[in-house]
Amino acid sequence: MSLMQNIKEGRSRPSFLSPVLARVFGQATPGAGSPAILLLLITPGLVIVAAFFLIPMALVAMRVADGPDGWATYFVILTNGRYFASLVQTLVMSAGVTFCALVLCGICGLFLVRNRFAGRNMITALLTLPLSFPGTVVGFMVIMLAGRQGAIGSMTNALFDEKLVFAYNISGLFIGYLYFSIPRVILAVMASAQKLDPQLEEAARSLGAPTWRVVKDVILPGLMPGLISSGAICFATAMGAFGTAFTLATDIDVLPMVIYTEFTRNANVAVAASLSIALGAMTWAFLASVRYFAGNSGDVAARGGA
Amino acid sequence: MTTQIKLHDCAKTFADGTRALAPFDLEITGGETVVLLGPSGCGKTTILRMIAGLEFPDAGGKITFDGDDVTRQSIEKRRVGMVFQSYALFPNMSVAQNVAYGLKVHGVGRDERDARVTAMLEMMHIDMLADRAIDQLSGGQRQRVALARAIAVQPRVLLLDEPLTALDAKLRVRLRTEINGLLRKLGITAVYVTHDQEEAMALGDRIVVMQKGKIAQIGTPREIYRKPQSPFVADFVGAANRLDGQMHDGRLHIGERVFDAVDAFDPRHGDIIDQGPVELYFRADGLSTCEAGDADFTGRVEAVSYLGERLRLTVSGIGSMPVIVDTHPDDVISAGTPVHCRVNADRLTVFPAVAVNS
Repeated sequence: MSLMQNIKEGRSRPSFLSPVLARVFGQATPGAGSPAILLLLITPGLVIVAAFFLIPMALVAMRVADGPDGWATYFVILTNGRYFASLVQTLVMSAGVTFCALVLCGICGLFLVRNRFAGRNMITALLTLPLSFPGTVVGFMVIMLAGRQGAIGSMTNALFDEKLVFAYNISGLFIGYLYFSIPRVILAVMASAQKLDPQLEEAARSLGAPTWRVVKDVILPGLMPGLISSGAICFATAMGAFGTAFTLATDIDVLPMVIYTEFTRNANVAVAASLSIALGAMTWAFLASVRYFAGNSGDVAARGGA
Repeated sequence: MTTQIKLHDCAKTFADGTRALAPFDLEITGGETVVLLGPSGCGKTTILRMIAGLEFPDAGGKITFDGDDVTRQSIEKRRVGMVFQSYALFPNMSVAQNVAYGLKVHGVGRDERDARVTAMLEMMHIDMLADRAIDQLSGGQRQRVALARAIAVQPRVLLLDEPLTALDAKLRVRLRTEINGLLRKLGITAVYVTHDQEEAMALGDRIVVMQKGKIAQIGTPREIYRKPQSPFVADFVGAANRLDGQMHDGRLHIGERVFDAVDAFDPRHGDIIDQGPVELYFRADGLSTCEAGDADFTGRVEAVSYLGERLRLTVSGIGSMPVIVDTHPDDVISAGTPVHCRVNADRLTVFPAVAVNS
C-alpha cells in the first residue's frame, strides 16, 4: 500500500536502500526516478538473472571442486595438454572467423550502401538469410557442399579425379561459422556506412589524400564502432556455438564439443564444469575488454592518428 | 603567387539526364574573391564542385588553373582548399591533427609541420584548442579549424561552400568579417558559395548571380545592388517591391502620376525604353512617407514592425501587391490607418514588362 502510494505520488520513501540505489542508477532528479519505482522496474530482471544464470553458474562452479584434483581442476584447461590444445584451436578459429567476416562484410557492406543497382535489395536479403537457420542446418548445408557426397567433392572428382572433402574438420566448421556470422556483421557495417559523411572523404581528398589514405583515415575510423561491436558478437558466437560442430562432428576438437563429450560420454562432470567456466570467463573477458577499448576508441584513435 | 581560374564552355548534365548547368564561361582573376549567389538548386554548388574536381563538366568544357588544363584532373591533384557547411572535420583526430593532415599527406617533415600548424592555429585564434577533440568544439570553432586545415597546405584556390549557414546570426557576421580579413591578407583566389545576399556583398570582389543553372548577372556588389539586369536579380538582392508602370516618350507614368529623369533601359539590348509597359523594382527606400500635399500615393498600413533603427510598414493600395516602406523609428503609426507616400524615382529599377526571367 505504502509502496503504491509512493509510486503514485512519485516520491521516495526514506529507506536504507536509497543511497545504494542512487549509486547504482546515478543521481536522478528528485521525484523523476523514485528508488521505489526503479526497484520495482528492475526486480523482474534481477529474478531472471538470479534464477537462470547466477544460481546455476554457482552450482557449476561448485561442482568443479568435486574433481579428482580438487580445486586444481579449475586450471585443467591450462595444465592438460589436450584441453589446452582445444582452447587454442577454438580461439584461433573464432579469431579467424571474426577477421574474415569483418573483411568480407566491410567491403560488401560498403559497396551495397554506396551503390544503387537492380537486385541490390535481393543481394542484401540473401546475405542476411543465414539469420533464419539454426546452427544444425548450417552444418547440414556445409556437408551438402563439402561433404563426401557434396557438390565440391563431385566437381573436383570429375575435374581432377580426386574428391575434395573438408566438411568434417575445422575447415568445414570455419566455413559454417563464417556463413553464420555474415548477416550480423554486414547489417552492422551497413548501418555504420550509411552514417559516413561523404564530405569527410571529399575533405580528405581535397587535402591530397589518395584512395588508400581515405580508407585508412576516414572510412575505417567511421566504420570502426560497427566493426568492433559486430566483431565482438561474431567472436563470442564462434567461441560458444555448438550446433554446427555437432552436426559435422567426428574430427572437431573445439571447446564446446569437448565440454559436451566430457559431460555426457565420460560423465566427467567436474572437468566439464571447469571447462565451461573457463570458456565463459574468457569470452566474457574478451567482450569486456572490447567494450572498454571501444568506449575509448575516440581517444585511442586520436592518440594514434597522427 | 595567385592562381587565375578559367572555365570555358562548361555545362553539367547529371547521369539521370537533368541539366544542372547550361554552358557558361567564367574567369576568376588571381587573388580575387568571387561569390556564387543564388537560391538552392540554381547550380552554384555544382560550379564550385567542378572547380574542386569533384564534378566534371560535360564534354567540350574546359577548366584551367593559370593556363594548366585541369579539366580531367581529380581533386587530390588540384591543390584546392575546401571548407564545407557541415565542417567535415575528421572526428577521430584532434584539432592539431586535423590541421596537420594535409601537410602529412604531402610528406612535410614533422618539425615544419608542427610549426605550420601552430602558425595556422594562431592565425585563426584557436591555438589554445590544439589538443581538443572535435566534438568538444562549438560550431564557430569548428569552422575556424576547417579554415585552418584548408589553408595550411597553401592551396591554389580556396573553395567555400556555404561555410556560415549552420551558424547563428551573430556569429555569422563575426566570422564573415574574419574570413574577409583572411582572404585579403592571404591574397588567395577564392570562390564562395552562398544564398545570402548580405554575405555575398560583404565578401565578394565580384558576385555571380545564378538562376536555374544559368548565370543571371556578373558584377561588383555595387553593380549587382544598384544596376540589377533582370527582375530576378533585383528581387534576389532585396528589391522586393514591385509596381507596374508605363513609359510614354521617355517619361514614366505610374497610375495618374508622371515622373521625369528615370533611368530606363532594356538590359537585354541595352536600349533606352521610350515606350510601353514596364515593371518597377525597388527596395524600401524607393518610397518614403510624407505630408498629404507632397504625396504621390495614399495607401493603407497593413502591418507595422519596429526594427530598432527604423519602422517598417507594409502598405496596400498602391500597386497590385502590398509594398514595404520604412519610416523613422520614432513615428507613431498603427495598422489600419492611411499613409501618404512619395516616390523616389532615382531608386527605381525599370524593366520592360515582358519578363526577362532568363
